[in-house]
Amino acid sequence: MDLALQLLFTGIGIGAVYALVALGFVLIFRATNVVNFAQGEFSMVAAYLMVVAVEAGLPYWAAFIVALLGMALLGVVFNLGVYYPLRHRSYLPVIIATIGASILLANSVLAIYGPQPQVLEGWFETPGIQVGPVYLDSQYLLIIGVTICLVIFNFWFFEKTLLGKKLQATSQDKEMASLLGISVSTMIMITFIYSAVLGGLAGILVAPVLFVSIQMGSTIALKAFAATIIGGFGDVAGAIIGGLALGLIETFGAAYISVPYKDGFAFLVLIAFLIFRPQGIFGERVAEKA
Amino acid sequence: MRLTRRDFAAGIAAGIAAPYLIKSAHAQGATIKIGMCAPVTGPAAESGGYAIKGAKLALEAVNKAGGILGKQGELIVEDDQTTNPGIVLAFSKLASQPDIVGFLGSIRSTQVHAMAPDVIKLGKPVMIGGTDPNLTHMGNQWLFRCRPNDSYSGRVIAEYGVTTLAKKKWAVLHSTDAFGTAGGKALTGALEKLGAPPVLDQGYANQSQDFTPVVLAIKQSGADILGSYFTFENDLGIFARQLRQLGVNIPWVGSPSIVNITALKLAGPALYNTYGVADYAEDSSEGSKAFGKIYRDAVKVAPDNQSSWTFDAINVMAQAINKAGTTEPAKIREAILAIRKFAGAEGEYNFDQNGDGLHGYNIVKNEKGNITFDKHIEFND
Amino acid sequence: MSAPSDNMPIPAPIIRSKPLVVRHLPYFIGAAILVVLAANMNFDGYVHNILLQATTFAIAVFGLSVVLGLCGQINLAQAAFFGLGAYAVGIGTTDLQVSFWLCLVGGCVISLLAGALLGMSTLRLGGHYLAMVTISFQQIVTLVMINAIWLTHGPDGVSNIKRPDLFQTSQSYLAFCVAMLAIVGYMVWHLSDTKLGRAMRAVRDNELAAGVNGIDVFRTKIYAFALCALLGGLAGGLFAGGFAYVSPDQFSFAESIVFLTMSLLGGVGSPVGSVIGTGLLILIPEWLRFLKSVPGLYLAIYGLFVILIIRFMPDGIWGFVADALTRWRAKIKAPPAVAALQLKPATIGGDIVLEVTGLSKHFGGLKAVDGVDIAVKRGGVHALIGPNGSGKTTTLNVLSGLYVATSGRIVLDGTDITHMPPHQRTASGLGRTFQNIRLFRSMTALENVEIGAERPGNTMVGKGDDALTERAMEALTFVGLGSRANELISSFSYGHQRLIEIARALASNPTLLLLDEPAAGLNSTEKLELHELLKRIAAQGLTILIIDHDMTLVSEAAQHITVLNFGRRIADGESMAVLRHPDVVSAYLGSE
Repeated sequence: MDLALQLLFTGIGIGAVYALVALGFVLIFRATNVVNFAQGEFSMVAAYLMVVAVEAGLPYWAAFIVALLGMALLGVVFNLGVYYPLRHRSYLPVIIATIGASILLANSVLAIYGPQPQVLEGWFETPGIQVGPVYLDSQYLLIIGVTICLVIFNFWFFEKTLLGKKLQATSQDKEMASLLGISVSTMIMITFIYSAVLGGLAGILVAPVLFVSIQMGSTIALKAFAATIIGGFGDVAGAIIGGLALGLIETFGAAYISVPYKDGFAFLVLIAFLIFRPQGIFGERVAEKA
Repeated sequence: MRLTRRDFAAGIAAGIAAPYLIKSAHAQGATIKIGMCAPVTGPAAESGGYAIKGAKLALEAVNKAGGILGKQGELIVEDDQTTNPGIVLAFSKLASQPDIVGFLGSIRSTQVHAMAPDVIKLGKPVMIGGTDPNLTHMGNQWLFRCRPNDSYSGRVIAEYGVTTLAKKKWAVLHSTDAFGTAGGKALTGALEKLGAPPVLDQGYANQSQDFTPVVLAIKQSGADILGSYFTFENDLGIFARQLRQLGVNIPWVGSPSIVNITALKLAGPALYNTYGVADYAEDSSEGSKAFGKIYRDAVKVAPDNQSSWTFDAINVMAQAINKAGTTEPAKIREAILAIRKFAGAEGEYNFDQNGDGLHGYNIVKNEKGNITFDKHIEFND
Repeated sequence: MSAPSDNMPIPAPIIRSKPLVVRHLPYFIGAAILVVLAANMNFDGYVHNILLQATTFAIAVFGLSVVLGLCGQINLAQAAFFGLGAYAVGIGTTDLQVSFWLCLVGGCVISLLAGALLGMSTLRLGGHYLAMVTISFQQIVTLVMINAIWLTHGPDGVSNIKRPDLFQTSQSYLAFCVAMLAIVGYMVWHLSDTKLGRAMRAVRDNELAAGVNGIDVFRTKIYAFALCALLGGLAGGLFAGGFAYVSPDQFSFAESIVFLTMSLLGGVGSPVGSVIGTGLLILIPEWLRFLKSVPGLYLAIYGLFVILIIRFMPDGIWGFVADALTRWRAKIKAPPAVAALQLKPATIGGDIVLEVTGLSKHFGGLKAVDGVDIAVKRGGVHALIGPNGSGKTTTLNVLSGLYVATSGRIVLDGTDITHMPPHQRTASGLGRTFQNIRLFRSMTALENVEIGAERPGNTMVGKGDDALTERAMEALTFVGLGSRANELISSFSYGHQRLIEIARALASNPTLLLLDEPAAGLNSTEKLELHELLKRIAAQGLTILIIDHDMTLVSEAAQHITVLNFGRRIADGESMAVLRHPDVVSAYLGSE
């Protein structure tokens, strides 16, 4: 029982990481119908920005703001350089361009910063607390907390604010949105900025746990993408649930079935979902109109 | 700036042509050339940089002391991209230059396996750092190892834990890559011989983000000592922290990565009081101390095995060629195999007929982040 | 359902010519010279390894030009198939001591089966989902290679892999691989002109239209995946024999991306592009080794180039070159005039060609079609009309199988087609056009119509490509576009595109032709021409079921009208009587 509780906490913590990154996927997908294969690299870049800013002597909170501002800028550049020129083409060129972008980002950081993994201190002095039989890592607690806040924030933002509603309208029907006087390209730009910042936030939050390395983004992103599909593409709540589910499946699978095949569980579950319930837990299946 | 398709096509054409022009501008000199395949790019690029520095430092010293056969030695580095196809191409590129007399291969065993068929075809000596015991036991007479192989690291870990620390309930944890699997096997085998078969033998996949299930398995197994083979430092760092957080404080003897600089930086206090086997330990011998000083002066970083083995490899090769008095491969081979009591950075080289130069490991201890030499365990069989 | 499949823009298709081996003699002579060169030139080890790698990789990239280029499906697991073939040869020739040839074939079969399995997931998935399935497959294969040590030797890999006795030396083995490359390349090159190749291109251009033109979309995708995997496996087997050592990291996801980039760089539409792309992506890293003194710099540039290529050279290098070549080349003239089109609709059933009883289609709570009965008499024109949202198009989509009926029965010429998928209905004699024209946009008018003529069970076309072309030309000439047969769809006006779509349906010699708002978007002259065309079709005894808003057209052309409103039939009978029916008038004008 103690064992299961500890695994539960870890699973939720890891799952919250996936969920955070998955959220970025979902937002871009909803706005542009494009899966951004460079989403994981957003997290990685942000973590490095944070390391650079902290090393430059900025206080932690200031470094945090600088890193997120940097991510906003990256979102702008990414949209203009990768997505926007291809917006009228089908999904395939865009997928490949984002794969190219992910290679570019990862290796640019490697070229500039070198391959050594870096350490980024966490927000808290105390590394964690012991509650009965379960050890709660403070950084994971923070990640879980931020994820909950983001769920609430996203709900409020998309349902209650004008900007959020405009973004929703754009993602559902671009033509209709532009007829209503919404600038579609501005909305897409905002989406890219927001999802780059979200991805960055995820990266900065996990960095103290997983260290800052070139590969940190890609491993998480692949799982987050799987989480997105399990939750149902294009659904914010689905991304969160999918992420948590995946984190738990992995952790318990590793504990009770096999550690080396841990990554395999995620993909097996994913394939099962794709075959038997491609619309995900929440998503609706949209048929092509004749 | 507006880029048209035509501009882009012209750019590609120019980009493809440029390297040819640059290459033809290279001039040839009268030196003794030694080829080196090293990871300049890819996941091991960092350690590749150290390896190249170690080799260069050795060659500088050799050249100052009169060179090889009276000529200056020259190191030609090819990037192996940290991949198997990469090293095959890198090696065949070096091998196609007839004036290269000897080579430095990889510290990664799979890469040595990948290039091995080409090594036999070429028939020139290749110094390697890969520690898979098979490499020198599969009939390839051109591979010479400048590090002790894993059968020794496993035996040393087992020996030290069972005899010196007097612990018999072992948990063995290893990466499922080539290095980790071979190491785990060697350790398990050695423990069985010592009459202490492990209570837990656990593999993990590289780049895991979480080790909670592993730590809990160790906790549940009731082991009183842990032996480990980690490949990547970030995995080691995450595991070490979680191990301590979940309250496991049993003695821990790890493979060389546990005393690696990056690992020390990442894991910090979580690795205090652990033991590691190290083929290179700065205080283990005079040769080690000497290398440590040269390396610190030149590179400003603490030396480790990534640079010490290439340092030794160059020195061994230079000495063998000078002894042989020729660059004829068969003669160099004989000269290498004849090397006895050669004091290198890694330890004392006594080549056996398989091409293994070293037969023991150092045990070092992490004392509050400082790596201190504990003892050397040598085997004679 | 998959996303719309207007996938990669494709270079202008090769104008079809008679597949005479003589015509292609230069290709074989060129290939033979290359093989002889490979066998006799004395390369050093480095050049030899690069050539061997390029040759085997190119064969794997051919696979991508089939699945991605021809069929428009994404495959991010080509390295996994490559690995299956490589491990089959690796494990087979070492641990199992089986002959190289047997292992090579075995590896191909294993890859083929795995590819077919992956292809089956396309039944329900397309686009991003498919991308993810292939990535998952790739990851699982990699994990198994690493962890199933008893079988694969794990991360150590398999060494001392044997070669066939016949090709023991490096030179002869390279020559053998070059010969394989030439043969496979020839087959892939000509695949696009075969029935299967046309079907793949049709699926890529427009899945729905492919289905209603008698192509089994699902099976075509499976074939494409299986073929792609087969080529991957073959290439992997050759690779293993060549390098004598395989290990899991050679077949990782990153390698799949490399294969994909090779394919895109050279041009995904053609095997020539595959060879160019593979050659460049193997050579460029070798030339640019000097860039690698800064870790990451080379790969960063590589990533940048992937983006730039996608942006500026969507058809790859070969597409770019081929584009320029076609501009220089004289336009190929249309084939000579042909005999008049013969329509001989089958007459198996009785007087009623199409009998629909109690047909319903519900979307959740919405009853789009609710218990509709339609009986279409043989010969003549039957119209289905109704105000917007009355369920006309839904009915048509249920009839042609794009939607599955919630309940009811559809009998076409004596055959119950209620539960058939679209392509089987087409095989049973149903032809249709779409309101928003669905042509295969990368093909010529002639090729579009040929796909129609190729419908299984078309008795009006003889054996062989010539007969097919003849039939298609007849149909095109029938709608008045015979002289422009070899032009691409994009060069036709909207009205003409509509005519091509009708010609495509006619070429298949259907028993019943469904026309979905054929007059929509046409100007008045074109409408007159359409009316004439309908008369000429009906004169040949082909039954037409037409939906349209244009009351003039409907009242003049149709002898019989069925009226729907809110998904229900409100009137049915002889044209003039129906149009005067009070319910119909109120449905159109609104009741008081």
